[in-house]
Amino acid sequence: MEKMSRVTTALSGSMLTGRTMHCHLDAPANAISVCRDAAQVVVAGRSIFKIYSIEEEQFVEKLNLRVGRKPSLNLSCADVVWHQMDENLLATAATNGVVVTWNLGRPSRNKQDQLFTEHKRTVNKVCFHPTEAHVLLSGSQDGFMKCFDLRRKDSVSTFSGQSESVRDVQFSIRDYFTFASTFENGNVQLWDIRRPDRCERMFTAHNGPVFCCDWHPEDRGWLATGGRDKMVKVWDMTTHRAKEMHCVQTIASVARVKWRPECRHHLATCSMMVDHNIYVWDVRRPFVPAAMFEEHRDVTTGIAWRHPHDPSFLLSGSKDSSLCQHLFRDASQPVERANPEGLCYGLFGDLAFAAKESLVAAESGRKPYSGDRRHPMFFKRKLDPAEPFAGLASSALSVFEMEPAGGSMGWFVDTAERYALTGRPLAELCDHNAKVARELGRNQVAQTWTMLRIIYCSPGLVPSANLNHSVGKGSTCGLPLMNSFNLKDMAPGLGSETRLDRSKGDARSDTALLDSSATLLTNEDNEETEGSDVPTDYLLGDAEGEEDELYLLDPEHAHPEEPEYVLPQEAFPLRHEIVDTPPGPEHLQDKADSPHVSGSEADATSLAPMDSSFSLLSVSHALYDSRLPPDFFSVLVRDMLRFYAEQGDVQMAVSVLIVLGERVRKDIDEQTQEHWYTSYIDLLQRFRLWNVSNEVVKLSTSRAISCLNQASTTLHVNCSHCKRPMSSRGWVCDRCHRCASMCAVCHHVVKGLFVWCQGCSHGGHLQHIMKWLEGSSHCPAGCGHLCEYS
Amino acid sequence: MFVARSIAADHKDLIHDVSFDFHGRRMATCSSDQSVKVWDKSESGDWHCTASWKTHSGSVWRVTWAHPEFGQVLASCSFDRTAAVWEEIVGESNDKLRGQSHWVKRTTLVDSRTSVTDVKFAPKHMGLMLATCSADGIVRIYEAPDVMNLSQWSLQHEISCKLSCSCISWNPSSSRAHSPMIAVGSDDNSPNTMAKVQIFEYNENTRKELTSSGGPTKFEIHIVAQFDNHNSQVWRVSWNITGTVLASSGDDGCVRLWKANYMDNWKCTGILKGNGSPVNGSSQQGNSNPSLGSNIPSLHNSLNGSSAGRKQS
Repeated sequence: MEKMSRVTTALSGSMLTGRTMHCHLDAPANAISVCRDAAQVVVAGRSIFKIYSIEEEQFVEKLNLRVGRKPSLNLSCADVVWHQMDENLLATAATNGVVVTWNLGRPSRNKQDQLFTEHKRTVNKVCFHPTEAHVLLSGSQDGFMKCFDLRRKDSVSTFSGQSESVRDVQFSIRDYFTFASTFENGNVQLWDIRRPDRCERMFTAHNGPVFCCDWHPEDRGWLATGGRDKMVKVWDMTTHRAKEMHCVQTIASVARVKWRPECRHHLATCSMMVDHNIYVWDVRRPFVPAAMFEEHRDVTTGIAWRHPHDPSFLLSGSKDSSLCQHLFRDASQPVERANPEGLCYGLFGDLAFAAKESLVAAESGRKPYSGDRRHPMFFKRKLDPAEPFAGLASSALSVFEMEPAGGSMGWFVDTAERYALTGRPLAELCDHNAKVARELGRNQVAQTWTMLRIIYCSPGLVPSANLNHSVGKGSTCGLPLMNSFNLKDMAPGLGSETRLDRSKGDARSDTALLDSSATLLTNEDNEETEGSDVPTDYLLGDAEGEEDELYLLDPEHAHPEEPEYVLPQEAFPLRHEIVDTPPGPEHLQDKADSPHVSGSEADATSLAPMDSSFSLLSVSHALYDSRLPPDFFSVLVRDMLRFYAEQGDVQMAVSVLIVLGERVRKDIDEQTQEHWYTSYIDLLQRFRLWNVSNEVVKLSTSRAISCLNQASTTLHVNCSHCKRPMSSRGWVCDRCHRCASMCAVCHHVVKGLFVWCQGCSHGGHLQHIMKWLEGSSHCPAGCGHLCEYS
Repeated sequence: MFVARSIAADHKDLIHDVSFDFHGRRMATCSSDQSVKVWDKSESGDWHCTASWKTHSGSVWRVTWAHPEFGQVLASCSFDRTAAVWEEIVGESNDKLRGQSHWVKRTTLVDSRTSVTDVKFAPKHMGLMLATCSADGIVRIYEAPDVMNLSQWSLQHEISCKLSCSCISWNPSSSRAHSPMIAVGSDDNSPNTMAKVQIFEYNENTRKELTSSGGPTKFEIHIVAQFDNHNSQVWRVSWNITGTVLASSGDDGCVRLWKANYMDNWKCTGILKGNGSPVNGSSQQGNSNPSLGSNIPSLHNSLNGSSAGRKQS
């Protein structure tokens, strides 16, 4: 033994080397302690007490101190400590309350030296004086601390904590006479070893038991304590009152805490429950551990830095019966895995973005800083000159808001609110919706509406008033939907219309020059010219030509036509009369002429669209001649709705579905429709468009949808006269037999929207109440209540 | 096209997540300082903190809102290996007077053995469900059978994803015709592993069959698309509200936007830089080569084939 000691002493001067390694123990460990030469470690537990030497590659068992045929309870260790001045001196705390010292220098196999049986219950902790060779301190479950002089047979002094169990005792490293003790009731006491009668100082450090404490190796005033409340606190004991310097929040109760050598702000912790890992914290960044060791499979019970001046080697013992040496450079760093960015797409297209400030700064550092000048609010850095620690991190939070023009979801809200879905003839609905879409700059959608009008407002389906108008539209619009693929193929087959076909070719070239909106307009043109296609006369064609110009927004023509456009019903009967007397054979000629006529009337821009309409005309004519019903297009319409839904514009799909109703419903399976409805209603509710959402629910034909607003809506109403709850029988009060829904302003029964104050039950017509509240905030019924309406 | 509004968040450590609520007028942030803050948008468009409280005993990685139909409910997940569900308490109190609201913990989900890295509520039509993913690569699906009782959650499914998961996101599309999709991002930083962004699809029909036959209920998952453009850890994935655009952000400091074209090929459609500066993305977009529709053999193959994603409706 002597020889071994010498060898290891010689080692202690050199640099420590080693690797992350572990060895299996025979039994769970309760505590470990390192010899001052940093080459040996003692492991103690309920049924283990061994000394291992720490070699380059492995642990080697050197000595088993647990000898004797019948192991006594004295060998069941709760704690072990190796004297930091004498390599041969060890002390253990036994679970039966005995404090045992061991002398490795004894020649016999049994190294047991002295036995102190003064504590009545388990001794939780033993501690040697850092500089005095013979002074040993113990803390026990029975609430007493005892100081032993190893040269005597019994304790020198006994300290009573006046409370429950002592969990830890630690001599101050700097103050010769001072030691700290921690208690199960959350207190920490500071004692002068010369004054056993009462403690120097006491304060409550934790909520619940304080399991451990550790004096800072350099800062004489700093004491770290760890408790069951999952916190590690660092106290400055030099001030008059213990001052909490730092507070580290861990994820489990703290069983051990050890300051890291040579790193002023680092400490290592382990837990006695749930969490098997060992963490190293920088107390200045109290939320994220600086390093994490994940080797153990069960609770870590003992940790010790291998050498008091080497920060990179940590030893640990665990309930999983293993002893580990951890290298700091092999530790996993939770900071590295911590997500430095947050991102969220908002409803209105805004993006919320939080990023680590250093990341953002690094980004902008790469290029000239002009970006920041343009947006002065951008990632404003919190400048904190007092910030001494580079590891501290903070984030910049900003919300990128869509500029109104930049594709925010405003169009969705506008569209939802302005679309007309019911209550008017189909053609008008389509026109109206097309207009809404165009005004919002959504030309494709506008064109789709126009096409739909043309397709479905056919003679069989619409009032005769709209007859030729709609027919013309139907044919032209169906064609673009079909991608104009068979325009050429079909037209030649029609024989007599070859001439038109040619003109179509011209029109093509012309329309190619037009922008998308112009092409939209040409469709409108088409519809009229086609109207002439169907038996009509010049007059009709002209009149519609003017309407076309209105679509083209030609100011000269548009204004005079406006009244007619606003009140289309007036125009229709007129046409109707004309329609009835058309000379059939002339229609070809009509078509040939009509572009010229309109061209002469309008300026050059309208000419091209006319031509294009012309070309389309011929085909439409053919379709009409062969009596293609609107059903012919239903496949196309269905595909179109699918297309919109796939594009994410479920609004369009549902709107068309509602507007067209039976015409298209049968072609789309129930489940898809239901999905569209639910998606659209969900979107509407997100934007808080409750009214639109309710309208959509009402107009839907799907059972699953229409039942949505018939469920789980209950209003509890009080009678406005007798103030008693109304029964479910409607609007006559059971008790006073008067109508409950009288308007408090005009004293008439309210039918329709009834608004009332939930405080006094009085209310009335929405308009009346609103008007009343402009003048007074008191109840119009005169009850004196200060009404509140949300 | 964006205007930036900077907010003094006053978190004491890194902010790990930001989350808008259903209506886009509330925002929640969570941080390593173990707290969650709730922000309400005022009429003028400013964001005001209306609640801030300690939620976990470790870094809070994510915070997410439930559909308002279930109340004002938040879920958070943390380094402390738990996820928690929070509900805002309505009622008069001192907090109210100060313009602060009060949140109480309804449940703690403790199944994970490692850090829970993300938590997300499922689309409303699936009921009150939430998914968590953890650092050991396990995605867990919980369900509250009674929507009025937020304190009872049962673990429905555990899916092993093999890669350490950093983020998860349900596709918000509420279609019953095609399966729900979950996008999962990985913070695995080894270069040769699988793609860092994956879109999984869950086949409900198959699950029903399995259930009726008495077998274990399992999510039938197949990969719809995967991307590796970030060339680094992916921190975050997020869908737009129509479920057509997926945004992902990575350790390269950029946000990438993904969209499926008419052929269901997912392509990068835009790149945003963290400081708001535009990226001339044309060259970078040229590099994007998302590998599409490839099934990973270790996962259950769907009966529907590989690229059955959104077109199924």
